[in-house]
Amino acid sequence: MNRQLSALLAALVLTLPTASALADMPNLQISGFGTLGLVATGASDLRFTNLGIDQPDSTNPDFGPDSVLGIQANIAITDRTAAVVQLVSRENPRGNYNPRASLAFVSQNLTEAATLRVGRLRIPFFMLSDSLNINFANPWIRPPVEVYGLNPFSDLNGIDLLYRTRVGETDIEVHPYLGRSSISIYSSGNARLTRLMGVNVTMSTEQLTVFAGHGESPLTLNWGDKTFTLLTNLMPPDVNKALSGNDGHASFSSAGFQWDDGTWLLIGEYARRTNRRYANSAHGWHLTAARRFGNVMPYLTLARQTQDRPVAEASFSDPQLGALQTALFDGFNISRNGAQQSVALGTRWDFRRDAALKFEFTHVQTTDNSWGSSFFPHGDPMLIDLRNRSVNTVGVAIDVTF
Amino acid sequence: MSRSSLYVVRLIVLLGTLAGVPSSASVALAAEIQIVAARGGSVSALSTEEAEQLFLGRRSTLNSGERVTLIDLPAGSVRDRFYLLLTGKNPIQTRAYWSRQVFTGRALPPREAASDQQARDWLVTTPGAIGYLPADVIDTRLQVLLRLP
Repeated sequence: MNRQLSALLAALVLTLPTASALADMPNLQISGFGTLGLVATGASDLRFTNLGIDQPDSTNPDFGPDSVLGIQANIAITDRTAAVVQLVSRENPRGNYNPRASLAFVSQNLTEAATLRVGRLRIPFFMLSDSLNINFANPWIRPPVEVYGLNPFSDLNGIDLLYRTRVGETDIEVHPYLGRSSISIYSSGNARLTRLMGVNVTMSTEQLTVFAGHGESPLTLNWGDKTFTLLTNLMPPDVNKALSGNDGHASFSSAGFQWDDGTWLLIGEYARRTNRRYANSAHGWHLTAARRFGNVMPYLTLARQTQDRPVAEASFSDPQLGALQTALFDGFNISRNGAQQSVALGTRWDFRRDAALKFEFTHVQTTDNSWGSSFFPHGDPMLIDLRNRSVNTVGVAIDVTF
Repeated sequence: MSRSSLYVVRLIVLLGTLAGVPSSASVALAAEIQIVAARGGSVSALSTEEAEQLFLGRRSTLNSGERVTLIDLPAGSVRDRFYLLLTGKNPIQTRAYWSRQVFTGRALPPREAASDQQARDWLVTTPGAIGYLPADVIDTRLQVLLRLP
């Protein structure tokens, strides 16, 4: 087994009994969260992947997609100024567990209502962006990929403002942000949002939260897998220009709600991404219903992602190369289409104050022109067809906070 | 795989044995919970709305602009009942809520005392401290700001 994963497991086990023992110093608070998760897929020619987060083609069953460990330090500098550093270790698209700073910012309370933050922040594209690594805060083993896979960017290197106000019984948070972001893409590619701007509004009452947000940025995207290199060698220059480069533009919108009355928990989110080039345009939604029976909460999730526009469109008429070019080009578009639908049935058991055990069964169906968002071919991608697949997965995970 | 399976089995066994901890004292017999501050200190009044916003980490000052320090009791039935009465959130909701607040860097939970007695001492000695205690633990050094029904 991977040594780094062993270290992650050991750290998870060691941190459980010590709980908040470190959190006694008034100016420094250390806290953390973690998930140890194992997911297995019922098809031998593909591997489960957490799209855009882990390394796609690894083992089955796999610890990589869901296991995560995070450590956070909150430092109070003055009454109004604080710093937060959060390090997260989870399998990345390069296949290692190198810890990275998921948060590293200084915050300043300008007034009681407004907080300005500068540094490394979390991009708040989704209602649940803030807790996508913190599975303890959510019912699922992993948030539905049909929605949360639509935007793999997580870090905002920049600045944001949290403005809070209260109208009657409703808390309102307005959250504008500005900055840049970059991610690695399997296996040697990368993507960058070079001038990201957006704003969110969240309204909360005791039981209901409603969220809406929109963001836009110029996009640079370089695919970095072997099949893509093969493709570009056979494409005319004008087609290659539509597949990768530094002249993209992405816009992203999302709306969601959460209802929690203590017994019933209902969560729904709709998100849409629009790309001018390099990546496809698509939308997705999920709806989750969960009911608490004491410490046990079974849940059902329905989710679907649909493609609105493929990465690129082209036709090839070369008498010798045309057929091969068409096949490769179509194959590329299909491989970049995450469209799929799924039904997940699971249960969460809060067996301790700081730990939950989850089981989840998921049935995923890809479409006739997509690889979907949950799987990657194991072996030669040219020989394995991920279209129209109907695949079952089971997962088990333990989430902790300390 | 064999070594990793072993880790998982050990972890599940460890967690399973810890899960059998019984929940404490019956709610029906418990004393009334009161929100308190030091008698003669800087905090002399508190509305229910202010208390709820403070203990949900949505604000850190009173309407008067006075900055406060919150004191939590150790995990247990009194704390669970306090949050249920004040915020309407059960223990599982409260923990999920706070994990979200903390790990998004938005707020830190109240400082947690090791016992009712330590919470009482901190409330007396920490300027601007607000906390909650069962009525039978409150002494003359403290004044009651709010009684939770």
